Amino acid sequence: MNLERYPYNNSNDFQDYEFYSDGPKGRIKKVVMFTKIPNSEPPIYNLGFGDQDPHSGETDDVVVSNNEDRDIVLATVANTIIEFCNHYGNHYIYAKGSTTARTRLYQMGIAGLWDEISKDFDVYGLKDDAWHVFEPNTINYDAFLVKQK
Amino acid sequence: MPTVEKKLKTIKGFGPGIVSDNVKSHANDPFFIKKLEEATQTLKRVGLPDQKK
Repeated sequence: MNLERYPYNNSNDFQDYEFYSDGPKGRIKKVVMFTKIPNSEPPIYNLGFGDQDPHSGETDDVVVSNNEDRDIVLATVANTIIEFCNHYGNHYIYAKGSTTARTRLYQMGIAGLWDEISKDFDVYGLKDDAWHVFEPNTINYDAFLVKQK
Repeated sequence: MPTVEKKLKTIKGFGPGIVSDNVKSHANDPFFIKKLEEATQTLKRVGLPDQKK
């Protein structure tokens, strides 16, 4: 994958990642966290991703930050997936937005970078409680599963 | 005189991040706890690709 991305910091255990989006709305702190789904075998990890409020320290992914850098942010998150897998192994990573609109934004982002993402990842989309091989610009999926190739 | 804030530099291609003690675990953040619970319920219901539930 050869995409433009932001530099980031990560925790010692490689489960938490932080970086800044930089655009017209200023610098917005982004947080990525990988958490193992309890009792999953083979292991599945949830990818949590959101903006961290600088005042309260709380994270959410409901606010649309409109910082005009969606592809750079998504490429940075993809980079954290690769780094996480380098330390924990190639496991399924589950991701879903907090709202339908947010999940749709994720799908648009994946579709926009599909040529690069598909080189490194197998991606599945959830629809009607069944997983389908991800196809860009088709149906709207409810969630995503990603696995590094 | 107005201050000019430098744009963050971006990087091309994969590379590791910087390990930092300042990056704390978010395991107790209600947002991530809720996301994990939702993911757990969904995956319990639908399983993995090619895995019949």
